Amino acid sequence: MNCEEAIKLMDGYLDGELDPITSQAIEQHLRDCARCDQAYKTHGSLIHAIGNATPYFKASAELGERIQSSLREDATEYPVRNGVPGAQIQFHKRQPEPRSILSEIPWNWLGLAAAITLAAIIVLNVAPRLQRPEADRFLATQLIASHVRSLMANHLTDVASSDQHTVKPWLDAKLDFAPPVVDLSPKGLPLIGGRLDYLDNRPVAALIYQRRQHFINLFVWPAGSDTARSTKAMARQGYQLLHWEDSDFNYWAVSDINDKELQEFKQLFEDQIPHH
Amino acid sequence: MPRYDPNKIAMALPLKTADASQTEDFESDPKIVKFVVVKKREEQAKEEVTSFEEAMLPHLDAAHNLAKWLLRNEQDAQDVVQEAYLRAFRSFSGFHGTNGRAWLLTIVRNTSYTLLKKSHAIDLTTNFDEEIHATGHDSVSPATILEHSEDAQLIKEAMDELPAEFREILILRHQEGFSYKEIADIAQIPSGTVMSRLARARAKLKERLETRIGMEK
Repeated sequence: MNCEEAIKLMDGYLDGELDPITSQAIEQHLRDCARCDQAYKTHGSLIHAIGNATPYFKASAELGERIQSSLREDATEYPVRNGVPGAQIQFHKRQPEPRSILSEIPWNWLGLAAAITLAAIIVLNVAPRLQRPEADRFLATQLIASHVRSLMANHLTDVASSDQHTVKPWLDAKLDFAPPVVDLSPKGLPLIGGRLDYLDNRPVAALIYQRRQHFINLFVWPAGSDTARSTKAMARQGYQLLHWEDSDFNYWAVSDINDKELQEFKQLFEDQIPHH
Repeated sequence: MPRYDPNKIAMALPLKTADASQTEDFESDPKIVKFVVVKKREEQAKEEVTSFEEAMLPHLDAAHNLAKWLLRNEQDAQDVVQEAYLRAFRSFSGFHGTNGRAWLLTIVRNTSYTLLKKSHAIDLTTNFDEEIHATGHDSVSPATILEHSEDAQLIKEAMDELPAEFREILILRHQEGFSYKEIADIAQIPSGTVMSRLARARAKLKERLETRIGMEK
């Protein structure tokens, strides 16, 4: 690779968007060519600094309220158009079938009881098999709700500090376990603070990290004995969730940054926590 | 003992269906039918709004930020964001993706461009006057630019001089952290174009900063 090609691909390399082979070729060139290497470093730090200093124009609370009321107005004014296609007709279409049954069997409490019993039998038999993914989905919804709430209600942190030696003792004092707390500022992921949260029927620690203008909520609680050690990534409602475990703790990271960056965050976090 | 009781949750469902079929017993009365239909519509509308808001309101800041940068005017930005949310809401049933932020920002972006074109405030493409802008920055070194790179006001002024397509790509990458693929989808350009456009945008921004720093001297 020559200098001209290297310069042309520099932005892609800087953004980590090149394929591995091209990346390697650039790396080789930067090792060989001091001038390009210098240009790359200058360009990189400048782009990084500019990105961080670019003002981010948050929406006013008033705009949020205005949008919410305009949505409600729109929904009541045009309910059919907004509906899931066919949802309105469904009500009428469904009529004949249940009717024929209902007219033969008089409705009474006995029938209701029977329905409940039957449902309970089905649920008891089927539910345990479904429990695992169901539980995950349920938890994921809780996690996202908690993440969103923390950003919306202006209640991101209970203890706001980038100093892990402030956040950790605070959490330790409030919880019956001592979550690992590390600052990742040098890696571009400053610790913003900590918060107590309640998830999965237990108090958990929430650590808040910032990535550019985005926040990562990292929920931590002790690992159960029965849980398999696995890493799980999912995307729901526009959020990325990443789950992993070590010998002591369960981790769930929630953010609106992309999957790749969340994986990087996990890697950095794991590299930094003290191993025993 | 499970950590929560799935049976309890699941049992609530059959109960609800039982209730619903019970009301169908009264369907022979047209007034009740109408009432039930209206009620159902209201409920449905409420549910739609709630699920839309849960998915999209968290991205309000991102939407506003992008609109503000594209339109360079607070009032226009607010109007566009509100309009975009309404558009998004109306087509929400057609959205099955996972990347809600990218989807919403695509709509914000398109709505912004519609307004830009209508108000003829178009500097959509790169053909702005190079001659006026490209003067007197020979003496500014990269180190000097780096020194000034934390000056938010300076960056804002320099950014505002760039064409919309450059402002857009810089915001999507630097502030929202979108991948090239996501940027291509939002800005509706071929994936292969993203890198070169981003490089040009960054070079232009650097140039604008140089000029401004050079003028301050």
